[in-house]
Amino acid sequence: MINARSIVKSFGDNVVLKDISFTLEKGHVLSIIGPSGSGKSTLLRILTQLESADGGSLDLVGKTLFRDVDGRAVYESNAVRRELNLKTGLVFQNFNLFPHFSVLRNITEAQRAVLRRGKEEAEEKAMELLKKMNLADRANSYPCELSGGQKQRVSIARALAMDPEILFFDEPTSALDPELTMEVLKVIRSLAEEKMTMVVVTHEMNFAKGSSDEALFMDEGVIVEHGNPVELFENPKEERLKRFLNTFNSRT
Amino acid sequence: MKGMTFSVRIFFLTLLFSLPFGFVVAKGRMSKIAPVRWFTDLYIQIMRGTPLILQLLFFYFAPYYIFHASYDRFVAVIVAYVLNYSAYFAEIYRSGLQSMDRGQYEASSVLGFTKAYTFFHIILPQVFKKILPSIGNEVVTLVKDTSLASTLGIAELFRVAQTSSSRVFSTTPIFVAGVFYFVMNYLVAKFFDVVERKLDYYE
Repeated sequence: MINARSIVKSFGDNVVLKDISFTLEKGHVLSIIGPSGSGKSTLLRILTQLESADGGSLDLVGKTLFRDVDGRAVYESNAVRRELNLKTGLVFQNFNLFPHFSVLRNITEAQRAVLRRGKEEAEEKAMELLKKMNLADRANSYPCELSGGQKQRVSIARALAMDPEILFFDEPTSALDPELTMEVLKVIRSLAEEKMTMVVVTHEMNFAKGSSDEALFMDEGVIVEHGNPVELFENPKEERLKRFLNTFNSRT
Repeated sequence: MKGMTFSVRIFFLTLLFSLPFGFVVAKGRMSKIAPVRWFTDLYIQIMRGTPLILQLLFFYFAPYYIFHASYDRFVAVIVAYVLNYSAYFAEIYRSGLQSMDRGQYEASSVLGFTKAYTFFHIILPQVFKKILPSIGNEVVTLVKDTSLASTLGIAELFRVAQTSSSRVFSTTPIFVAGVFYFVMNYLVAKFFDVVERKLDYYE
């Protein structure tokens, strides 16, 4: 589903991603952990086309998004970019719901304007997802009337309504208190059971360890360790990862 | 009473042209092309930095001295008001657009909305709500500023009141004019109140 090779990205003189290569199989859940500023979010933004890579190559859902030509990332045509844009979804840390739309319309708007679905079909899909998120009774509320956890579940529903083949999460629970975090993680776990391919950037170590198929530790723009999450947490090989996990353990 | 019609005409024509034109100016002010940005910035500085009454005289007399062509003073008045108010509206639009959270653009892009769709359906409605109070402020000022057209001899409300006051040797007509301005602005304020309340359903 994802095949990234030697992705490089810098902002000015600041090299944010140095040489990022990894693969992810269909139906797998990958957790990306690492300290702030390690490049996790930038990587996610390149995978979702919010940011463009400087070098390297990337295949998503069996299609090439960009390839390396003499050390520079060359993107495919706009048609391919758009096709892949529609096959990937992103859930943000601070939700980014549309405040002027009702919950229902937040979920139907893109289905109608982008996928050209009819009103009924879009609303049916939205209600089905809201039911799954336990939010069917909030369809006509506005985002400002919801708790953080509810907002995040709406934004997951909004992403799922587009039938993405890969769903990305950028620290989906970092803006939530522990209780609301649990309710959002529960939703992500249930998606994992349905074999949704997901990449989750997170600081929730228990989630990364217990609910993902793979875990990846990044620091200073490189992948330090990538592998089975239980293995990675219980037998970290790299010194840097050991230190990172220690600070987390001593905190709790 | 006839003075009212000129004031009202100046008022509506100015809004009709300056509300959209202000948007063009705002776009220029935020342009990526530096000379365009400098030019619009200079334009805004001049329009905001000099008195409207001076601009009125300029737009009426400058074409006469430069091209020896005179034109309708009412047209000159409208041109001056539109150019002046566009500068103010442009700055309001700019502040509104720049206060938008980047996340709204990012969410739209990830969902596959086109740039135009994002602007008209996601950004604009939110910006509109944000800037409505500032726009209301400017519109109230415009009602009062229409009185400046009297300097070019336009027979609008204030000038009519002035001439009839010297005719009847009384300040009463000017006071009556004041009441008219007040009533008009009361209506403007009420109008903006209603629209603001209509948009109160979120945030």
